[in-house]
Amino acid sequence: MNDNKGYKPNILIADDSEMNRAILMDMLESEYTIIEAEDGKEAISILEKRIDEISLVLLDIVMPNMDGFGVLKIMNQRKWIEVVPVIMISSESGASQVERAYALGITDFISRPFNAVIVHRRVVNTILLHAEQKKLIDLVEQQIYEKEKQNDMMINILSHIVEFRNGESGLHILHIHTLTEILLQHLLHFTDRYRMSQTEINLICTASALHDIGKIGIPGEILNKPGRLTDEEFSIMKTHTTLGASMLNDIPAYQNEPLVKMAHDICRWHHERYDGRGYPDRLKGDDIPIAAQIVALADVYDALTSERVYKKAFSHEVAIDMILDGQCGAFNPLLFECLSSSADTIQKELQNSTPNYANKKTMKNIVKEILNK
Amino acid sequence: MSLQSCYRELEGDYNDVIGRLRTERLVQKFVFKFLDDPSFDLLCRSLEAKDYDEAFRASHTIKGVCQNLSFNKLFQSSNQLTEALRSGWTPEAEGLFAQVTADYNQTVTAIKALQVENGVV
Repeated sequence: MNDNKGYKPNILIADDSEMNRAILMDMLESEYTIIEAEDGKEAISILEKRIDEISLVLLDIVMPNMDGFGVLKIMNQRKWIEVVPVIMISSESGASQVERAYALGITDFISRPFNAVIVHRRVVNTILLHAEQKKLIDLVEQQIYEKEKQNDMMINILSHIVEFRNGESGLHILHIHTLTEILLQHLLHFTDRYRMSQTEINLICTASALHDIGKIGIPGEILNKPGRLTDEEFSIMKTHTTLGASMLNDIPAYQNEPLVKMAHDICRWHHERYDGRGYPDRLKGDDIPIAAQIVALADVYDALTSERVYKKAFSHEVAIDMILDGQCGAFNPLLFECLSSSADTIQKELQNSTPNYANKKTMKNIVKEILNK
Repeated sequence: MSLQSCYRELEGDYNDVIGRLRTERLVQKFVFKFLDDPSFDLLCRSLEAKDYDEAFRASHTIKGVCQNLSFNKLFQSSNQLTEALRSGWTPEAEGLFAQVTADYNQTVTAIKALQVENGVV
């Protein structure tokens, strides 16, 4: 009744013969909870609802409505086969059938008539191995997450030092990170001109935090001047781009690190304009690295929607309109498309953006990528 | 009558089934359960209705169950019938169905006798 002691993993048995299900059940029910399906369709609808609770599927081939191969096909389409191991049990023992089943991702094939002890052992082994593998994946995920978190934390601390001197809120760095990620995801969705992996996307987002480090070299009275800058002051202010870039170039170690290179490009070129009228190098169009183009757009949006010593904050809607209207500089038309299509997401995400560094989902994608290499 | 002699009556392999399913309790439980299996009825009805897909599956299920229980005689005839129906109707199916019917009746008679002995019915 109230037996909470041993946890019993769930096994789904899909077989049209009640006798067959009952025999398997008798062998396994002391250690496992058995869920029964009378045909392929029922098996699929159970998997649909309870995929995360099921540790193993025992699957017959010949069944009405949908046969075992039909079930495997759907499990492949929906990628369930990567999550739940399947053992096929059948009296169909032709090599072509068995091969086909293995090609569709089953873990094991048991022919009838089966031996109780052997079935039991194979079931136990499959479930244990699978659980072990899942534990290892979780462990790797956790390790990567911790490492990334430390990295992000260091970078955030350093960039906040710059921000503080600037009198800006610590939220700026966080917003740039979030905006960069949203815009990048939309850009990759729109076009395959810039192909990149989740690791590269993460790299750009991390490097975005460093875009203004050059400001550490700008005198405080210029940086925090409440009124308009004179031409001379403005030309000094502009050097924060090249200053940041050369600070990164002068780091003795890590010169070949992708993060350093990426941060360099973003520092130097996040004030270039698509029409070639930006600074410091007057780069034009796609000569400006895409990462710098995106951070530039994110920077403009966040500047508009934040309060500064010399201006009030604009609302989200006004800021988007002003940018799309071309009042805030020239940008890649593709990025304008990304901005207008992601406007709602931006508003939502920035409202709940908390410093959780790299989120778990991103980590999961990275782990997947590593494991599939 | 013992379970062992029941197996002799229905021409199955008692040692084989005990070797695989391990306990007499389990074997006897499923031997009795065989009487409730609807596959033979389904086979008769679907052949009558000329639904050969359904007949194939029913025959296939009988074969699978017999294989599990080492009912060798009924396994052999139902196995042949299954193959004869795999791609629809074939002329051999008729004779094979008659054989399956005879073997099924022989099996059921043996099991019922065992039930009477054990006071199950």
